[in-house]
Amino acid sequence: MILLLKNKVISQNLICLIILVFFFQGKIFSQQINGLNLGASPESYSAASDGELYPILSSAEAEREGGLKDNLLSTGNRLKFADYLFQQEDYLRALNEYREFLRYEDNDSVRYRLAESFFRIGRFNEAADNFKGLFFGSDLSDEAILGFYKSSFFKGNYKEFRELTATPIYMPDKYVTEINRLYFISHFMDNTLPYDTAKLFTAFPDSNRQEVKNFYRSRKFSEYKSPVTAALLSVAIPGLGKVYAGEVGDGITSFITTGLLVFLSVNNFDHDHNFRGWLFAGMAALSYGGTIYGSAASAQIYNAGIKFNLDNEIKLYFEKRNYFLPKLEF
Amino acid sequence: MRTIAVILLLFPYLIFSQTDWVKWEAKQISYEQKREIIPSSSANGLGTKLASGLQKVYKFFISDLDGDNCPFYPSCSTFFVESVNETGLIKGSLMFADRFIRDLNFFKGSNDYPKHVSGKYYDPAYNYTLISQKIKYFTGDSVVKE
Amino acid sequence: MKRFFSTYLLFALSLSIYAQDNLSIQFDYANTLYKTGQYFDAITEFKRLLFFSPQKKYSYDANILIGKCYKAGAKFDDAIKYFSVAELNTNSAEQKIEAKFQIVRANILRRTTNRALEILNELEKEISQKQLLDSVNYWKGWSYIFADNWKEASAAFGKIKSNHELKKLCDQIENDKVSVTFTKVISYILPGSGQIYTGNILPGLMSFGWNILGGYLTVNSFVEDRVFDGAVIGSLIWLRFYRGNIQGAENSAIQKNIDISNKALRFLQFEYKGAKP
Repeated sequence: MILLLKNKVISQNLICLIILVFFFQGKIFSQQINGLNLGASPESYSAASDGELYPILSSAEAEREGGLKDNLLSTGNRLKFADYLFQQEDYLRALNEYREFLRYEDNDSVRYRLAESFFRIGRFNEAADNFKGLFFGSDLSDEAILGFYKSSFFKGNYKEFRELTATPIYMPDKYVTEINRLYFISHFMDNTLPYDTAKLFTAFPDSNRQEVKNFYRSRKFSEYKSPVTAALLSVAIPGLGKVYAGEVGDGITSFITTGLLVFLSVNNFDHDHNFRGWLFAGMAALSYGGTIYGSAASAQIYNAGIKFNLDNEIKLYFEKRNYFLPKLEF
Repeated sequence: MRTIAVILLLFPYLIFSQTDWVKWEAKQISYEQKREIIPSSSANGLGTKLASGLQKVYKFFISDLDGDNCPFYPSCSTFFVESVNETGLIKGSLMFADRFIRDLNFFKGSNDYPKHVSGKYYDPAYNYTLISQKIKYFTGDSVVKE
Repeated sequence: MKRFFSTYLLFALSLSIYAQDNLSIQFDYANTLYKTGQYFDAITEFKRLLFFSPQKKYSYDANILIGKCYKAGAKFDDAIKYFSVAELNTNSAEQKIEAKFQIVRANILRRTTNRALEILNELEKEISQKQLLDSVNYWKGWSYIFADNWKEASAAFGKIKSNHELKKLCDQIENDKVSVTFTKVISYILPGSGQIYTGNILPGLMSFGWNILGGYLTVNSFVEDRVFDGAVIGSLIWLRFYRGNIQGAENSAIQKNIDISNKALRFLQFEYKGAKP
């Protein structure tokens, strides 16, 4: 700028012209704003972001001060702002800005970040779709495919995820181990572990193999209680099924209650109190039936508890290790 | 168990970072103090109508007057209505009988029931329908807000 | 040389005017979104403004407005976070106090009234202006209202003006409320009377009936020397309903007080015209 100004060949007229151009620039911007028209026509954007309009100001000052010389909504500024939002984990706002940016300029890295934003706020379907768009003819295609499988995995439909891996659209050499490992983790998640473990354990790094083996063992051979056994035990002796299902106190209470009601019923019949006899008999029957029913229910709840704890443990284990996924810088 | 506790501790922080991950609208909060929410059972089916009728009579004549005696949430009478509603009159009655016996147990504390926010043991009817998919498991040290 | 300087000056001036314009337009745009209730988008635009504003000129205003947006969405934790950021970016003592009042108001709505009162007490020590002290007392009053402490609220409003509109309201509510202890005490003496006192006549009478019945059966058993029957009936029926009657009286007194408070809170929320949190 100073160079140009030092050159006395430049007349005052030219400077006036430059000022005029700036003024005009501001006009366009305020029109956009007044009309609340965020998606202004591409022409206005290209005019605003056309770097050649500012030969004088192109001296690289602090980058973020773009607001001074440039339209805040120009593509360049939009991208800077979007990246800032992404850093702040404000992903929904970031992805809106990325989307707006992509309406005017195509950029694979931005498209990747858009998909990643969707992924991070848990909108896995949209993330998968956006990763898909980067499969071919992109420098990031390997990462995009990993992202696609990652999104499909987190959708939670593990069966569908496994079908996707079985019919590889295009499997990148770079990440084939990771995707393969996700495949086996999905078996842990929905409890459909294969009996053939040769491939299963080698998919995990040496340092974690023992823990994974332990999980496999607990998944496969957990000590569940059978609801049928519990019910049958209570048929034989009221309350025994509950003891079997781990509820000792409830079992003893059931036994005493049912026994007491039967005693009262018999006692009343003996003393010719027939109404009271039948009343207690009905209550005894209800107590007996309830105990049998409750024993089966208790066994089920016991099993649900075992499954819940194991699910949590496995989930936490993989979550803590980020499902063995690589941390990508972009 | 400790890791779960750590996750629970971190949970508020996670929620905090998620404020803007879903677009939200203006929302007016009420100045009023919250009252106790009395769950209304939707009476569909003859069995449920009968059970909730019985419960209403019981509530009016006895339960509302003899103090707060049931250590469970939902209370035994509500459990009865809910179980009849979920299964039917016969199965519901068995579920109620079982619940009643569990109520008689003096050592309920050892059963590891989860707690309800009201401080009672949380013991919902849907866990006892014998349909394992319906069971929602809570650990003994969790507090349920439903 | 002189000419060079004058042109340079002219150019630099035009640049700064333009820059200001660009940012102030963005501020106005974000503000319009805020005013039209599009709070989520308004926050985006305020954040954009803050990101591109180099001299932190808007740090205070934009952060306050972001806080207000979150408050309007009932996201009080975030609101308080941004009000606090605004407080750190104030240019004057007035702005600092205003930011503090905003934090207090969000705390009141979040029902963390203890925190609100803490801030107000600190603020009270710092300022001496009558008008500001009035504001402090006004928000103290609101904090106490949200803490359901109408007596203290009345005292706080009374410091502003002895016949303050809200002081009168608080006094009336305090007057209307029933004493829980009194309700319980009369129930100890005459079962059912507590519930009748709080307006639940039918349950009160029913409770009275159960207690009479239980008492009669128990006493009758003892009179007829059936000691076992008497003990069983006494503990299982009479004592149960006697205890239940006291519990019921307490509950209905508490419920009645909640109803009275809520009626006043509804008035404050929807009909009261003054400043609200």
